[in-house]
This record gives sequence, C-alpha cells and structure tokens, in this order.
Amino acid sequence: MRRVALIRFVLLVAAIVVLPFCVRPVVASEICIFAIAAMALNLIFGYTGMLSFGQATFFGLAAYTAGLMMIHWHAPLLAVLAAGTLVGGVAAALIGYVCIQRVGTYFIMLTFGFNQMLYFIAYKWTAVTGGDDGLPGIPRPPFAVGPLSISLDSSLRYYGFVAVSFLLAFYAMKRIVDSPLGVIFRAIRENPGRAAAVGYDVKRYKWLAFTIAGAFTGGAGVLYSMMFGIVPLESISWIISGDIVFMVLIGGIGNLYGPLLGAAAFKWLSEAISVVWERWPLILGVALVLVVLFLRGGLVEAFTRVRDIVAGGGPRPEPDEPVSVPDAAESQARP
Amino acid sequence: MNLSLLAGAILNGLVTGMLYALMGIGLSLILGLLNIPNFAHGVLYALGAYVMVSGTKAFGFVGGALAALVAVAVLGAVIETLGVRRLSRVHPDYTLLLTFGLSLILTESIILVWGPVGITSQPPALLAGSVDLGVTLYPKYRLVVMVVTAVLVLASYLFVTRTRYGAIIRAGIEDKDMAAALGINIRRVFTVTFAAGAGLAALGGALMTPVRGLLPTMGLDILPFAFVVVVLGGLGSLPGAILAGLLVGVVQSLMTAIWPPGADASVFVLMTLGIIARPQGLLGQR
Amino acid sequence: MSADTILRTDGLTCDFGALRAVNHVSLDVKGGTLHSVIGPNGSGKTTLFNLICGEVRPSAGRVYFEGREVTGRAPHDLPHLGLARCFQRTNVFPKLSVYENVWAAVFARRTPGVLGCVRRAGEFSDVDADARRVLADVGLAARSEARAETLSHGQQRALEVAVALASSPRLLLLDEPTQGLAPEATVQMTKLVQSLVGRYTILLIEHKMRIVMSISDRISVMAFGEVIAEGTPDEVRDNRDVQRAYLGARR
Repeated sequence: MRRVALIRFVLLVAAIVVLPFCVRPVVASEICIFAIAAMALNLIFGYTGMLSFGQATFFGLAAYTAGLMMIHWHAPLLAVLAAGTLVGGVAAALIGYVCIQRVGTYFIMLTFGFNQMLYFIAYKWTAVTGGDDGLPGIPRPPFAVGPLSISLDSSLRYYGFVAVSFLLAFYAMKRIVDSPLGVIFRAIRENPGRAAAVGYDVKRYKWLAFTIAGAFTGGAGVLYSMMFGIVPLESISWIISGDIVFMVLIGGIGNLYGPLLGAAAFKWLSEAISVVWERWPLILGVALVLVVLFLRGGLVEAFTRVRDIVAGGGPRPEPDEPVSVPDAAESQARP
Repeated sequence: MNLSLLAGAILNGLVTGMLYALMGIGLSLILGLLNIPNFAHGVLYALGAYVMVSGTKAFGFVGGALAALVAVAVLGAVIETLGVRRLSRVHPDYTLLLTFGLSLILTESIILVWGPVGITSQPPALLAGSVDLGVTLYPKYRLVVMVVTAVLVLASYLFVTRTRYGAIIRAGIEDKDMAAALGINIRRVFTVTFAAGAGLAALGGALMTPVRGLLPTMGLDILPFAFVVVVLGGLGSLPGAILAGLLVGVVQSLMTAIWPPGADASVFVLMTLGIIARPQGLLGQR
Repeated sequence: MSADTILRTDGLTCDFGALRAVNHVSLDVKGGTLHSVIGPNGSGKTTLFNLICGEVRPSAGRVYFEGREVTGRAPHDLPHLGLARCFQRTNVFPKLSVYENVWAAVFARRTPGVLGCVRRAGEFSDVDADARRVLADVGLAARSEARAETLSHGQQRALEVAVALASSPRLLLLDEPTQGLAPEATVQMTKLVQSLVGRYTILLIEHKMRIVMSISDRISVMAFGEVIAEGTPDEVRDNRDVQRAYLGARR
C-alpha cells in the first residue's frame, strides 16, 4: 500500500512540474490555488459529510486580510501567508461553531448565510474593501528567508511558489486524513449517532474539521490575492463557494486526488471556454446538471468505470444471505 | 428621522416583507416536502419578472402576470419531474447541486434572451401616482402590490391548512412513507407543490417589476433573503415564514433608512441571532 | 463473580407527550451477571436503554453506574465511563472497513484529546492489537478488510457487538442481538453472547424466550413501561403476572 501511495505522489509532483507548460502559468497557479480550497472542502464534505456552501467566506476574508496587510504595511510574503491561514482558521472556528449546531439543509443554509453576510459587508464597506471595484494595488513581495530573497515577479516564478505551497498543503492534508482524525471524520460521516455512541464528541470533531478546512482555504485565498494584484469582490461571493463545491463534485468526493482533478478540469475548462464564449456559466450549469444526474461519483468514478469495463468487470459486493423473517413462534410473541 | 420617512420605510419594508413571505412559503413547502433547499427558487422569481415584461407587451398587465405564473409553474413541474424526482433516492445534497446548476443555466438564459443590462418597467396607468396616507405620500402601486401579495400569502396559508389537498401536503411533510401508505400519490403532490412554489415566486417577481426593476442576477440577489426567511421562520412552518418574511423586510428597510451599508448584513445578523436563540426557527417545531 | 451493583436505575421515567413510555423503572444489575429485560413490543425496553445511554433525557429518575450518577450524560461520555451499547437495528459505519469500524471504537477510549492525532492511524500498535483481538473474538478476523456494508446481516450484527466490545466496557448493553437473524445465524449470535458471559456484565434485551431463559442470571419483565416482575429465570417463568402479560400470549 505504501508503494502505491508513493507512486501516486511522484505522479502528482510530475503533473505539477509539467502543468505550467501545458496551460498558461497563470492558469496553472489558479489550478493549484483552487485545488487547495477544493481539498479543504473535501475534508468537510467528502470525509466528514458536511456540505459547506460558504467556503468563499474564508477564501475572501484571507484574501482581503492579505491584500490590506501588503498594501498598508508592506508585510512580507510568509507573514501574510501565515496571517491569512490564521484568519481563515479563526473565522471558520467562529462561524463553524454556529453552523455545526445544525445538520443537513440547515447547515448548508447557515454556511451560505454567513457567506452572504460577509459578502454584503465587503460590498458596502467600500472604504476598506473597494466594494464592487475590488481591492487593487496589491504588491507581490519576494520570497525571503534570512539573506535569501527570490523575486516572484514573473508568473512562472509565482507558479513555482504556489506549486510548492500546494504540495506542502497536500502533504499536510494527507497526514490529517491518514491520522486517526481521518478515521474519526469518516466514521462521523457514515453514522454520527454511532460515532457518539462509541465515545466521540461529534460536534467537537465537526468543529475541528471545519476549522482546519477554513485555515487551508484561507491560505488559498492569500495566494489568490497576489495573483492579479487585486482582490475582486467575487472572491468572497457565493459564486466562488459554488465553484469550489463543483470542483469537489466533478472530481469525486472522499478521496484525496479527486478534488485536485476537479479543480484542474474546472479551471482548465473555464479558461478554454470563456475565451471562446463569455457565457461560460451556462456550460458550467449544464455540466453540473449532467454530472449530478448521471455521474455522481465524479471523474474518479468515471475513470473507475472505464477501468472496470476495460478489465472486464470490477469487484462486486458479496451476495447477502437471504433476509430472514423472524420464526413463527417469535412473531406470535409480539402482539 | 422624521415621521414621514419612518412611515415610508416601514411601508417599504412591508412590501418587501410580503414578497419575502410569498417566496418563503414556496421554499418552505418544497423544503419540508421534498427535503431540498431549492437554489433555483431565486432564478424562478427572476424568470417570472422577465416573462412579465414580455407578457405585458402582448397581453396587458394582468395577462402578463398570469403568463409569468403559468409559464414558470409549468417549468417548475418539468424540473421536478425530470430532475428532482430522479434524485429522490440519493443524498439530498445532490438535489441541491442540481438546483444550483439549473440556477446558473436559467440566469445565463435570461442574459441570452433579454440581455445583460437592467430593465425598468412602469406600473399600469391606472395605478400610477401616489396616495396621501396622512403621515406620508406613498405610491399607489406599492400599496396595491402589498395587498395583492398579502392576499396570496393568506390564500396559500389557508389552502395548506384548510383544504383536503393541503392536508395531504402536510401529511407528506410529516411522514412521506405514511402518506404513501395511505394510498396518496405522493409523487404528484411533490410535483404540484414544486410547481406551485415556482409559480408563487414568479408571480412575486412579476408584481415587483415596477418596484424593483429587472436585472439578470436579481434571482441570485434575492435567494439568500428567501433562505433567511425559511431558516428564521422554521422549516416547514408557514406562519413562521410569513412572520420572518415581514420581520426581515422591515428590518432591512429600516436599516436602509438609518445606515444603508448595514442594511443587507443586518438581515444575516438577525438570522444568526435567531438561530442561536431558537435553533428550530421562530415558529418551527423541529 | 462479584455481587456488587454495577448499574442502578432509580425510578426512571420517560414521557413522550401524553404517552408514558417508561414508568418508574428501578433496575439493579450486579457485576459479572447477565441481566435480561424482556417484554412485549412497545413495553419500553429500548427506551429504557436510550435513557441509560443518554440518548433520551428522562422525565424523572436517576441512573447510577458504578456508584456515580450518570443521568443525562451525553452519549459520547458513556464509553469513557465504561458503558457500551449495541443497537437494535444494525448501526455500524457502512463504508468503513470492518477493521476501521472496530479501530474507531478502540481509539475512542484511548485518546483524551485531539493532540494524539499527529501520528498516522497505523502507528498506534496497541489500538491495532486490541482491534484485531476483538475481531478474532467475534469471528470476523477473516473479513477485516471488507467494507462493513458488504457483510451479511448476521456478520453485521456480530460487527455491531464487536464495535461495542472494542471500547472494553465494564457494562455491555445489547439490544436484541438476534433480531431479524436466520435460525443458523441466531445460534451463532447466541454462542457469541454466551461466550461473553462472565467476561463482561451484560444487560440484554431479547425476544427469543428460549435464549433468555437459558443464558440469563436475572430477568426483568416489562409491560406498558413498568417492570412487572423480576427474578431468576425459574421465578419469572412461574410468575402469574408474567404469564398473563407476556408468555400467555404464546401459549
């Protein structure tokens, strides 16, 4: 098993290296940034079973925080990254604490509601955020550790920084899902009542998952803010929240690589199509409807299906022993 | 703030509040019965407004409103039959994503058909102008809309609580399997409810065109408020949706008069406080 | 065997609206024994379990476990105190492997907090050993890598018991472990329960009278939310109230 994991990881690194030569480096950066956000949502949706429709809250908050720090204080790169991650985590802890009190539809609506609340604040608080025009004029500080200082001015260099950040985030996420937390989160997703009955404080672990995801998403938001030198209002809107959900969904939930594929496919397609036709969301909507109706397991399932067909049938579940009826005497004993 | 402004703000709040209540009722029934948060509800409202504008040109004001109601209700029935129904056996999250996708498709379609720029529309000549209410002058049309939506809200409420069909809907919300076991064709009830919810939203959109104008994203803009109404009122509770709708409308309108930047955010603060104080919603039982 | 009381309920009462599901139930379960609760459907047995395990809040009365009051404690606290339960309907983690099902339950008792989670799950060798021992105990060792949902119904019931055993409880609450099982699977499950007698204190809800009569040390009979009789299997069998309320229905 360890060998398979290693091969996968090597393939991932290879893909990251090749990526900026397949698509424009800017798009490659975007793919990595949204892959982090998708990975984070996957932790709470795919692993823990809570669909958050408000991940842009943490993405946008961190992006604005980073932008303001760099504009007003000329804060260095790594400090900004750390601060944005922290802001994402703290915001997720605060908002998540309220949201996890409810489950299912209520949870989704609460995450969505908080997202909208912050969106409207960002929209109306123009003095700080620039409102509809976004927050422009964000510098891209060099990567500096001690005497070492590397300029990230070219988009390829910036991609290098984003890609390394992504790989670190991926490794951290892999460690989280490989740790006992991974088992606990999946147990909660499968059966929260039973998870409590074996001794887990379900709310506390949900809260933890939500907070971790918020921190990762915050980190992604920081990387996004430096991309174009502007934080657009869209970065905190539900459109981004929906995009992140969609990436996870088309990639396939509940495993580490699906969301990465989803983010890559999504960003690559949106880039390719929006050049040709500006009504890209229409195609996105059609794709979403088709995936939901016909291919709920996402790209990973599509791949598995194709592989199963090629290999001549995949693993099948064991035949169940016939469902038994309580014997006659017993059923009489029940009035 | 002077009295005239205050009265105007409250009246505006009631007009918007009635609209929220109308949308909240449909959303609440769909949520209670089909267990899905209908992300397409906003765009159905927008579609109603656009059909109204085109319909008015062809059939006059009332004809336009009826066209909006019928067209969108039919669309709702189609969405339920071809989409939502197919997903009844899988996790509700997927239905949410389906409606989200539909919302994108319909919003883009509106842009393709009617263009990306906003449109304004005028009330019928009969209802133009203002009335003197003593404390303030208030547009005639808005008063009429307030009354008409109030009647619609009340009628929906009475339909659900007092009629046989309404009783079936309520039984379905309580326990789908039980309702199906009683020999009720629950699928048809689902379709009718979804279509009716869509139709009500569309009618709301149609009636509001002279008040709020039209914008392709108007559906996405109003959707969060409709959600707040449902969450705040309590899932499946119609009186809750009505109360929360009015509350949200008035709070939003008053904040607009006092401190405009906080108007929209105040609604979500209201929701958060409400959820913390009464997790099941103002009038919700569950 | 110790004769000390391990679980005591004191006037436990539960109202659902106008319906009194459990009415002043006082139980006294001695350590090391198998204590059964029997009674017709709807007599309040499962509700009694839910009250003991904190799933439902009692309207009145108290629960004491090993001398300390646990009334109204959250369900997730009880395994840490030494009390584990099985559910009437199979209630496992369907998409987790059999091994992970048990692993999760073993781990729940081991970690006080969140900080133990920096290591990989596979590095906790003591948790791994315990999980494998429990799986061997219930006869599922060969299926440990299978997903729980692919098990047969009987195996899922055994897994249900394994998940409860995994938290090394001092009191095990079993809610109809043989429910819905085919005859052969029922025999297997009965053997499994019998193999636990002596090693664990067990509070058992069961419908099948032959099983109850043959393996219980004490039996409490419930009807309409109340305990109408209690005693050894022989005493219960001879009790006229019991015959009228419950056994009478069969003969």
